[in-house]
Amino acid sequence: MKPPPARVQSDSCAGALSGKACRAYPTGGLVAQGAILTNSRWIATLGILSLAAIVVSLLCLHFGTQPIPYSEILRVFVDAMSRKEIDGGASDITRTILLQVRLPRMLLGFLIGCSLATVGVALQALLRNPLADPYVLGVSSGAALGAAVGVLFGAGTTFLAETALPACGFAGGLLALVIVYRMAAHYEQLPIHSLLLAGVILNAIFSAVIMFITSVLEPNRSYGMMAWLMGTLTAPTYGGLVGLVVYLSIGLFLLFSQMRTLNVLALGEESARTLGIDTEQTKRFIFVLTALLTGAVVSVSGMIGFIGMVVPHAVRLVTGADHRLLLPASALVGGTFLMGADTIARTLISPAEIPVGIITALAGGPFFVYLLIWRKDRLA
Amino acid sequence: MKKRVQSSGSIQALGIFLLSRWHRYRPVMSMWFLTVLSAFLTQAAECGQGDDSEMKRRPQGILTGMPFMAHVSSRSFVDDAGHRIYLAKPPARVVSLAPSITEMLFSLGLDDQIVGVTDFCDYPDAAKSKARVGYSNPSTEALIALRPELVLAPKDFLRPDLQTKLDQLKIPLFVLDAQTLEDILLQIQTLGKMFEKTSAANEVTQRMRQRIVEIRRKVETLPARRVLYVLNSRPLIAVGPGSFIHPMIGLAGGVNIAARAGVAYPKLSMETVLKEDPEVLIFPSETVPRSEQQQWLRWDSLSAVKLRRFHEVSSSLLNRPGPRIIEGLEQLARAIHPETFGSGEGAVHP
Repeated sequence: MKPPPARVQSDSCAGALSGKACRAYPTGGLVAQGAILTNSRWIATLGILSLAAIVVSLLCLHFGTQPIPYSEILRVFVDAMSRKEIDGGASDITRTILLQVRLPRMLLGFLIGCSLATVGVALQALLRNPLADPYVLGVSSGAALGAAVGVLFGAGTTFLAETALPACGFAGGLLALVIVYRMAAHYEQLPIHSLLLAGVILNAIFSAVIMFITSVLEPNRSYGMMAWLMGTLTAPTYGGLVGLVVYLSIGLFLLFSQMRTLNVLALGEESARTLGIDTEQTKRFIFVLTALLTGAVVSVSGMIGFIGMVVPHAVRLVTGADHRLLLPASALVGGTFLMGADTIARTLISPAEIPVGIITALAGGPFFVYLLIWRKDRLA
Repeated sequence: MKKRVQSSGSIQALGIFLLSRWHRYRPVMSMWFLTVLSAFLTQAAECGQGDDSEMKRRPQGILTGMPFMAHVSSRSFVDDAGHRIYLAKPPARVVSLAPSITEMLFSLGLDDQIVGVTDFCDYPDAAKSKARVGYSNPSTEALIALRPELVLAPKDFLRPDLQTKLDQLKIPLFVLDAQTLEDILLQIQTLGKMFEKTSAANEVTQRMRQRIVEIRRKVETLPARRVLYVLNSRPLIAVGPGSFIHPMIGLAGGVNIAARAGVAYPKLSMETVLKEDPEVLIFPSETVPRSEQQQWLRWDSLSAVKLRRFHEVSSSLLNRPGPRIIEGLEQLARAIHPETFGSGEGAVHP
């Protein structure tokens, strides 16, 4: 992989930060107009969002099959910090539930929501398509296909059981990435429309193969696979969580480093080129980055839809289209959203759970429809 | 009135079309709004169905049922979907659409009459050499090509279009839907009557009943243990009320900790499991590999983990409401109360 392209001088893209740039962005009226990003606005927005994230995370720790009172939560954390042994019995269970189930699951949800939303922002800017989300490149269905093939050939029965399925998913995602890339990059350039088209078509092919596999799989096994595909967070071990944190934060850091470039890219390729950006290389870099992030996320949690599409739009309404604020704000909102959605998913019909993908989509679906209707109005 | 029936028919067709596709596409669809749409259509279809079946059943009764004969003739049978069929003589060619039904037929010694089975019919060995017609989505063509005189189907995967087609072709369809052990015994008796194998059926059911009584007698005096049946670990799927395994756990002297879940196969939250603290973990041996079972050692506050009480039972036995269900029940009882039934096979030592 080639190194990231040189940064654009912030002076030269000053136009990209003003209202003019916002109007140039194809989502048009969805964008808050004319707001110029200032330091204080940046700090205030992210501060408020962080605060919201903290509040939601406290609620997430509180609610569950049975609410745990905050005093109890505090006590468990203090005890855990001081490594004091607690007496067995009921409080022991509370401690296990809190520290081994709720907390890691909440963190996983936050991390995955962050990644999905950030990748969504990057793709919408890159493809200049308001409907783009991490799933559009076919990477997610590639990952899903990888996992399905893994189940078909009994990857779960190897000694790697816990990691075998995600590994298969990741391999599938990578495969999809390579195919899309080859398809679209047949010529010197990487045309955006071919990229989108290649992704959509690959999605269709992979979905067909997945359907084929589910139809030949023994009902018992296909049921488990479907449940996984529908998008679920299961409490990870802290070891697994740390691995994921390292991987995703490297990806997110690299993506965040492209904030300014994304601003320029959102203006259109012509403008970007005149501003001195190597558009091909930049597109390639961001594209590969988003695919790697999506592959990892899907392989861990299955297909959690709509966060990548809805959260960036919602955030853009409030913050404007400047990626220096949009990117971190979307990350925070995405993480908070998934964290909250997962709490609802595991609380609503307790003791059973709902796949979290359903909750995110029920929130995202109406928004999607709204988007479609709104676009029709604009065109008329 | 006529118009209404017609329009509800088309809604029904659309609903069924969407649903039959939906069921299989579900894992890969990310556009969930379709869920809402299809749920709406099902409801519409169900409303329509009421009208339709009412309309259909009357002429059907005249054609096949011979209503005045129904109460007289012993050759008329009512299936678990409430349909009455009349068989003048024992069918010479029968197709089974479920492994459990195949096993019932073989247990009655109907080897020659069975002309078609599902892809998953693997017991007894003779079943493997029979023609196959698919399972959850059986091929109508393959089915009809076998020229069956009777089709035996489970309720779960029965597609309405298949039912309509068979109705058209005057091939009798008999639906079997066992909810309890007693149902299985009853079904074997019914099949015995249908094929004039009453004595074989009596023998089979008597043997089964005897073993049930034995197990029940032993279990009665034992304390009921808290049991978690792990269908899938990632995500955690258990069995709940409405599944066939749930009452079996009770019969084997256990208490299903997922009993409060409102679904047959609930995705159970780990919090519930930790709170309910199962004493025995049971894994279906075919689908949950040992390595996946090992992952449970992580939850060391569970009694089952402390006592190392992990057990495997054959899910193909427990899942099939057929004559071998008793073997499944015995495996289950042995897993829950090894000290009484002798541990033998099924005990896993992680």
